[in-house]
Amino acid sequence: MSEQTAEITAPDLAGTGSHLEHLSMQQALNRALAESLEENAKTLIFGEDVGQLGGVFRITDGLQQRFGADRVFDTPLAESGILGMSVGLAMAGFHPIPEVQFDGFAYPAVNQIVCQIGRMNYRSRGTLPMPITLRVPSFGGIRAPEHHGESLESLFAHVPGLKVVSPADPHQAYHLLKHAIRRPDPVIFMEPKARYWQKGPVDTADGGTLEGARVARPGRHVTLIAWGAMVARCLQVAELAAEDGIDVEVLDLRWLKPIDTAALAASVTRTRRAVVVHEAPRTSGLGAEIAALVTEECFNVLKAPVERVTGFDVPYPSGDLEDEYVPNIDRILFGIQRVLEHRRG
Amino acid sequence: MGRHRDHLVEGIDPHLFVEEHSPAQESASRPVLLLHGFASSTKLNWQDTGWIRALTEAGRRVITVDLPGHGNSASPEERDAYAPSRIRADLLQLLQDSHVIPLDDATPDSGVDIIGYSLGSRLAWEFGATQPELVHRMVLGGPGSADPLADFDLAAAQRHLTDGTPVEDASTADLLRMARMVPSHDVFALLTMVEAIKGEPFTAAEAVPHMPLLLVAGENDDRAATMPDLAALSDRTETLWLPGRTHTNAITSRAFKKAAIDFLNA
Amino acid sequence: MAELSFPLPDLGEGLIEATVLEWLVAVGDTVERNQPLVEVETTKSAVELPSPQAGVVVRVHGEPGETVLVGDPLIVFEVPDNTAGIVGTVPQEQAPKRRVRLSPVDDDDD
Repeated sequence: MSEQTAEITAPDLAGTGSHLEHLSMQQALNRALAESLEENAKTLIFGEDVGQLGGVFRITDGLQQRFGADRVFDTPLAESGILGMSVGLAMAGFHPIPEVQFDGFAYPAVNQIVCQIGRMNYRSRGTLPMPITLRVPSFGGIRAPEHHGESLESLFAHVPGLKVVSPADPHQAYHLLKHAIRRPDPVIFMEPKARYWQKGPVDTADGGTLEGARVARPGRHVTLIAWGAMVARCLQVAELAAEDGIDVEVLDLRWLKPIDTAALAASVTRTRRAVVVHEAPRTSGLGAEIAALVTEECFNVLKAPVERVTGFDVPYPSGDLEDEYVPNIDRILFGIQRVLEHRRG
Repeated sequence: MGRHRDHLVEGIDPHLFVEEHSPAQESASRPVLLLHGFASSTKLNWQDTGWIRALTEAGRRVITVDLPGHGNSASPEERDAYAPSRIRADLLQLLQDSHVIPLDDATPDSGVDIIGYSLGSRLAWEFGATQPELVHRMVLGGPGSADPLADFDLAAAQRHLTDGTPVEDASTADLLRMARMVPSHDVFALLTMVEAIKGEPFTAAEAVPHMPLLLVAGENDDRAATMPDLAALSDRTETLWLPGRTHTNAITSRAFKKAAIDFLNA
Repeated sequence: MAELSFPLPDLGEGLIEATVLEWLVAVGDTVERNQPLVEVETTKSAVELPSPQAGVVVRVHGEPGETVLVGDPLIVFEVPDNTAGIVGTVPQEQAPKRRVRLSPVDDDDD
């Protein structure tokens, strides 16, 4: 994974000129899908309401009109069927881009994802690759009912054969989705639905390095490790910490499988302190894996045990309790305080 | 919430599915009982057509009931469960259970208003005639002085269901088509109801309701062609014809709903 | 602003089309979610269709008496770009609030 060393992205893309656009993540994803359909006639988009309606979050808006109902189409409300069909289409040479409408709706399709999509390439000795990009509007933050705010990354990351990625902003979303679709292997693409509507600069010409993690903000005293919607929150926390004289680095992990161990090690070796932030429940969350990796790679330089700021070990709550469940600014600041205060011995 | 009646009437539990719908804002007006038509249901006649919403938004508490053999109500074997006289007894009991009290000028929420459609209008006509102390005003949709179910050719219908022999009588064929249209309908229960109604045919002049009545039908409603005869029987009757509407599609009409709500609130 | 089109929904019972009886909203109307939109008649019954969406009506398809097939466009709304999906609400961007203050870091202890 030597090529996965994180680049340090300049926070301002304005210098790159004519290809810079100001898009919401919805628009960026829509653009990426349209260009992927143009690029490869074998790509197909399907799922619940993605055709005629254009998706409940408008991500596939206008694509059926533009590319026809043979390539962008609605399915019955049956996730096992959506993913089972993806397997067959991939075996027949297509590049399916199925959508599971909400995170919690993926559970009925776990058999297809784990036992077929994740294994078919292995099982067929590489003769049946699964170039499937499964889009899953993920995580919480939109005051939705049960099954509409869950974080399934550690479930998917645990499955051999799958890759898992989550973009943090429109620029990342545009490039990572196109990249995921071009890859020959199955990718679970977790879209942070709470960030769909925020606009940001997108340089359509230059995505930079698309593998591995990315330093979203450099800092000296502590590394916050996050992905999806938590990256924006960690960047807010970093601004607030700077008021107190604490220089926070934010590492946007992007790829949750495989994890960019080299980038993790490089960042924490600089800051010597690490706090992982995720929305998923704490126990067996991806934070545990990251804490283990950081400990393996950086044990001798760490000033404190890796801290985890996470959701709780309960089902994702109803909308009015959401702000208590998802890591908020104060809980992340507390996490930073704990690693700053830690004294050995 | 929906419930099945568990109150015995003449020693038998009718297992009728009754629901109460609260008004959008608390109000002190009397409840409205809705009676659906043959081969219909609360859902088809009142829910999907927007009536329950229109009434609750107008501040009315609504009581709905699925007739025996219809909707979510039970389909008893015995014919007497479907007799209009028996249904009237069940309606009286369910109004008591819904805490409807006799009309009293000093109590604005006393008594009940009724809206019926088709067979429901026939049942309402008779119920209002026999329960003047309970019923305040009634709106009867798609009504007629005759009862199409009384002329239903039961033998032809049963033959048709057995071996597919075509039904000659157009009205019978149409009613049978309606009865079979909704898969959840128990067509044999509906035929048992027809049998029971043939035993107690509608003779409007025998028992005439004397509270204010609004009779409403589509201009093209063949089944309500005798509505003027019905109107002539009572001295406190208004009528409304809905342009272009038929027996099937008058029910959703906005003009119908508005007229009914205005009439009941008058 | 974006346009959001809704087809005639599946009315169940194997019905494939419906006849428009009367539109209850007009182009330019602001409609609430679940507000009655249109009366339609099928071979089975007449129904009032509630709005699946809040928004301003841009176009309606089907004059009274005309038949619309299930799945064909029925109504088009204009909605703000940041309209939420069918489920949930759009999160509001707020200035970050904090109660926790951090103590200065002492990096000279080892």
